[in-house]
Amino acid sequence: MSSRKTRALLGWAYLLPYATLFVLFVLVPIVVAAYLAVMQFDLTSPRSAGFVGFRNFVDAWKDEYLQRAFVVTAKFAAMMVPSLVVTAFALALGLNAMPRGRNTVRALVFLPTMFTVAVTGILWQWFYNLEFGLFNFILRNLGLAPVPWLSDKNIAMPSIVLMSLWWTSGGTAVILLAGLQNIPRMFHEAAALDGADGWRGFWSVTFPLLRPVVLFVVVTNLIGAFQFFPQAQLLTGGGPELATRGVVQYIYETAFNGYRLGYAAAMSWMLAAVVAVFGFLQFWLMRKEAS
Amino acid sequence: MKARWILVATMFAVGLLFVAPMVLMVLTSFKPEAEVLNPESAIPRHWTLQNYLDVLNWSEEAPFVRWLMNSVLVSSSVTFLVLVLSSLAAFGITRVRVPGGGAFFYVVVASMMVPGLLFLVPVYFILNSMRLLDTPAALILPAAGGGFGVFLLTQFMRSLPKAIEEAALIDGCSWLGVYYHVSLPLCAPAMATLGVLTFIGSWNDFVGPLVYLDSIQNYTLPVGIALYQASYYTEYGRTLATSAMATAPLLLIFAIFQKQIVESMSSTGLKD
Repeated sequence: MSSRKTRALLGWAYLLPYATLFVLFVLVPIVVAAYLAVMQFDLTSPRSAGFVGFRNFVDAWKDEYLQRAFVVTAKFAAMMVPSLVVTAFALALGLNAMPRGRNTVRALVFLPTMFTVAVTGILWQWFYNLEFGLFNFILRNLGLAPVPWLSDKNIAMPSIVLMSLWWTSGGTAVILLAGLQNIPRMFHEAAALDGADGWRGFWSVTFPLLRPVVLFVVVTNLIGAFQFFPQAQLLTGGGPELATRGVVQYIYETAFNGYRLGYAAAMSWMLAAVVAVFGFLQFWLMRKEAS
Repeated sequence: MKARWILVATMFAVGLLFVAPMVLMVLTSFKPEAEVLNPESAIPRHWTLQNYLDVLNWSEEAPFVRWLMNSVLVSSSVTFLVLVLSSLAAFGITRVRVPGGGAFFYVVVASMMVPGLLFLVPVYFILNSMRLLDTPAALILPAAGGGFGVFLLTQFMRSLPKAIEEAALIDGCSWLGVYYHVSLPLCAPAMATLGVLTFIGSWNDFVGPLVYLDSIQNYTLPVGIALYQASYYTEYGRTLATSAMATAPLLLIFAIFQKQIVESMSSTGLKD
């Protein structure tokens, strides 16, 4: 055996353990997802497995519950992403301007991102509790009426967004802060000489230089927001009146409560297609930015 | 000058606002049940360990200690597997330079673009046909197949000079010896970051155990405490004691590895 062949065999011996798991749990699932999407596959009655072509997609397109879930997911993204970017920007600018104690405060605002979503949900459900929650306790002491944080269908979603902001804005602030600190000092000094400081300096110097980082933050969070699920599962269970049941939760319920794997797989592809559009958008904007 | 100190004070107040929920969680977990529902004083009037003792006391419906052990088992296995398998793969790609290794790397990186939700149903289907549902392996094996570790270590090894490894080879060291004695120690900083991030991700995973586990005995902490909270939602003292115990290991990790964690987060936006 030639030494090149030996080296190839030897090299693949190093790759094999990982490659096995990669093929089994990353590549095969993508193929299985495609296979399931064109099948009627119900775990409860194994005999129902049969090729149905694009019928799952046609059914999903007409599914009123899926349309509602898409609206809910879009609503979450529309509330979450702008408020996250603004909050994180405010935190990052504040941190960046601190002459002292920056690392301590950075650690404090970052800390919530270390929490599992389950603990986050438990904590905030306690705060939001109608009768003995912390928020309504404060409101009552101020002489105000208690707010049905999670049981009113117009307030439940903003409540979920507020919890998500506490949970994730510190992490995003850290990313933006790194971007701010990456801007060479001379840009600020030149701007200050030209009389552009404060708010004007931010819009004419800082923000344009930070555009790639902001773009990254917006798109990754948009992609994340479209896969919105555990927060609602824990806080409201998707209620009241399905007002907070997003697409992923509907897919989850279809697959694991109703055991209709084929239909759930088809809906997964539809949501993945929407998410992929954001991914391509990011790729395209970044290339435009670079050139 | 004065404005700067107002800024520092404001930012500290904001920082305290972010940790306040956690402080309230810990303080309340030391309150007797009668005081929990009465939030007039954040600090317990009568400190008690009763909530912790109740939770640690074995019960069939909420075996907290069992969940804790499951979490430790799953998270350490995932971390160990990811570190070993990804470093071996990165070594094969960058040092042995196996034919097809570069192409394999691109496939791995491309797969990281696929949104996670797409894997939920098919991985369930595959685990079901392998009879692995409702076992720790259902959480460990798919997590070890993820591409992040290979991506991180391959990029890191590519940035290192190959001279030391080549010298070791010429001195008669075997490839495996080079991997173990030269490459691994050189990769220590990247391995530390990868290990910490993997452990945190696995410890906090909620959707995986929710979907792939079935029996209460097999739950990990996040799903266990969510279930506990759903069935005993009025006993906030105990629920918060479980939450505090589930979070404590992470706070310890954060205290030790703060620099790595924050830096890895910082660099995510800068590279591309």
